[in-house]
Amino acid sequence: MPSWAEFQPYIVTGLALGGLYALSGVGLVVLYRATGVLNLAFGAVGAMGAFIAYSMIKAGDPGWIAWITCILFGGVVTLGYGMLFGPALAGRGPLVQSISTLGLALVIFGVIDLAWPTTGGQSPSISFPTDNGGFTVGQLQVNWTQVIALALGVGITVGTGAFLRFSKLGTAMRAMANDREITATLGVPVRRVEAAAWLGCGLLAGVAGIMLADLSALDDTTLTFTVVISSLAAALIARLRSITVTFAAALVIGLVHDLVTPITQISNYQDMTPFVLAAIALLVMSRTQVMTRSREEG
Amino acid sequence: MIDTAGLKAPVSAGRRPVMDRRSLIQATVIAVLLLLAIFALPPLMSAYYTIAMIQVAIYSIVTLGLGLLVGRVGLYSLGQLAVLTIGAWVGARLLFATSQPYILVLIEAGLVTMIIGSLITLPALRLRGLYLALITLMLAGGVIVVEATLNFPNGGGGFSGYNGSLTNIPPIRRPSFAGTDPAFYRFSVIVAIVMFLLVFAHLRSKPGRTWAAIKQSEPAALAAGINTTVYKLWALALSAFVTGVAGGLLAGADRELFSINFPIQNSISLLAVVLMGGAFSLAGAVIAAFLQAFLPALLQIWGVPNDWLIILFGIGVMQVLATAPGGIADQFPKDMKRLYGLISRLWRRSAAAEADGGDRS
Repeated sequence: MPSWAEFQPYIVTGLALGGLYALSGVGLVVLYRATGVLNLAFGAVGAMGAFIAYSMIKAGDPGWIAWITCILFGGVVTLGYGMLFGPALAGRGPLVQSISTLGLALVIFGVIDLAWPTTGGQSPSISFPTDNGGFTVGQLQVNWTQVIALALGVGITVGTGAFLRFSKLGTAMRAMANDREITATLGVPVRRVEAAAWLGCGLLAGVAGIMLADLSALDDTTLTFTVVISSLAAALIARLRSITVTFAAALVIGLVHDLVTPITQISNYQDMTPFVLAAIALLVMSRTQVMTRSREEG
Repeated sequence: MIDTAGLKAPVSAGRRPVMDRRSLIQATVIAVLLLLAIFALPPLMSAYYTIAMIQVAIYSIVTLGLGLLVGRVGLYSLGQLAVLTIGAWVGARLLFATSQPYILVLIEAGLVTMIIGSLITLPALRLRGLYLALITLMLAGGVIVVEATLNFPNGGGGFSGYNGSLTNIPPIRRPSFAGTDPAFYRFSVIVAIVMFLLVFAHLRSKPGRTWAAIKQSEPAALAAGINTTVYKLWALALSAFVTGVAGGLLAGADRELFSINFPIQNSISLLAVVLMGGAFSLAGAVIAAFLQAFLPALLQIWGVPNDWLIILFGIGVMQVLATAPGGIADQFPKDMKRLYGLISRLWRRSAAAEADGGDRS
């Protein structure tokens, strides 16, 4: 068993990763509650945004324009998909609607592979100016990007919670999470609220994409699937309901994932963390599941 | 007899209570096509297409298993490729470790996959709908991680049967009667037929009707006295069994297995092709297998990057879900009928116009 000192650096990276998973998980849960769609293309959209940003930076554009482009790309593509397929699939149940987003994920995945083929040369990467600056806690090096990642996770969770609680749009979203039809009869512009949720989810996908491209790797498979699987696990542990539980679960997943790195016996299996944690959580929690109630059974 | 396919599902061949004239014709056509596929096709195909068709035969079993889950029971699994690789792993390990007959190994691979598959999906059984789909996606990710670490057997010793330092990797053996590619193709087709018949027999009898009831409404099925857990487990086990057998075939077909050949996006594209082909009918499984295994071979000859196929599958799955839930197997005959109606109408109109013109002149 490695010593405590060997674990310490991984607490920092794990928390940073967990913050981004939390941000992604919150994006997924909010969209799911408002529209009944679990956006499985979340990671793919972010990945493509990050690749576009990478190309822009390589072409000499200033960094911040590239980052904003990435985030906007996520918002526009996700909103476009939501506008196109949301109404077409409404009423078909969450399962069909979510499987359909896998189609979007496949399309984007294929486009990334076509436009940015993996070559033998230098692999693409994105770095922020905040990567170099930082501070030390005890003996631990912490850079500003990691701080930003965790802060974003916390900020988005708290901000979204407040938004849902206090704003008019947030209240409408919560109403739609309960019952879409009744909300519509109360005069809420359902389609517009859904569009807002899609846009928000897409913007978060862009943020997660660009941040993970820096902290993790600019690699389409990693960004498309690892992120989605980890944030999905967090969202699942929260039973696609509570954003607070999503946040906590995401931090735990990020931490456990990174903390097993020094343990050589199991470090090869660290990518199984989300699956194992989600499976355990679901096993324990589904004991009290009621058969016919909740609407996500579709 | 209950319509086993449910309300939304198209009525496909063979699910009628008695063998009427139409299903007799269908059965004859299928039999003739299969005989052609087994006897007439191999001498006509080049070596390249023979290998591709072996994959089609194998993947038709995989899509059969997934179609069973999706179309008949309503369990959307995104982890079916992982199940296939478990079958391939077990098959390869047994083929290296023992000198048992190949067919016995296939059955064993199926059984072991069935047990492993049932055990790891046991937690998922408590879940339904979206939750099940998600947990199987994560499962697929997990199995791929394990396989990347464990590697596929290549003739080494120990549990894993992997030896990284081997320079001359011995190929996985094939049955003595099917050593060549055309012979192995015939063998694969026959195994696929047996698996289709196995599933068909299930669908025609009590399990098939019970699955249909579960698909319609699980609470209603439960209220009708059906042990839904047992029957769902049954469907998963049957699906894992046939997929495991397909894995055993795949081991002999590829002769060398690498975990890098089974990326996680294939798990998703597998569900995509099953939905595109048509999850509600057995013919859909064959169409899906052609999409999954034959199109890539075709694209490679044409020099088109495989990524276009992934894009096509992505668009296809969105289109199918939005407008044609029955998939190609359901939609194609309808479209053909519509096209026929359109052409015959046009023809009649032009004939009438001609007749009109003739009158006037």
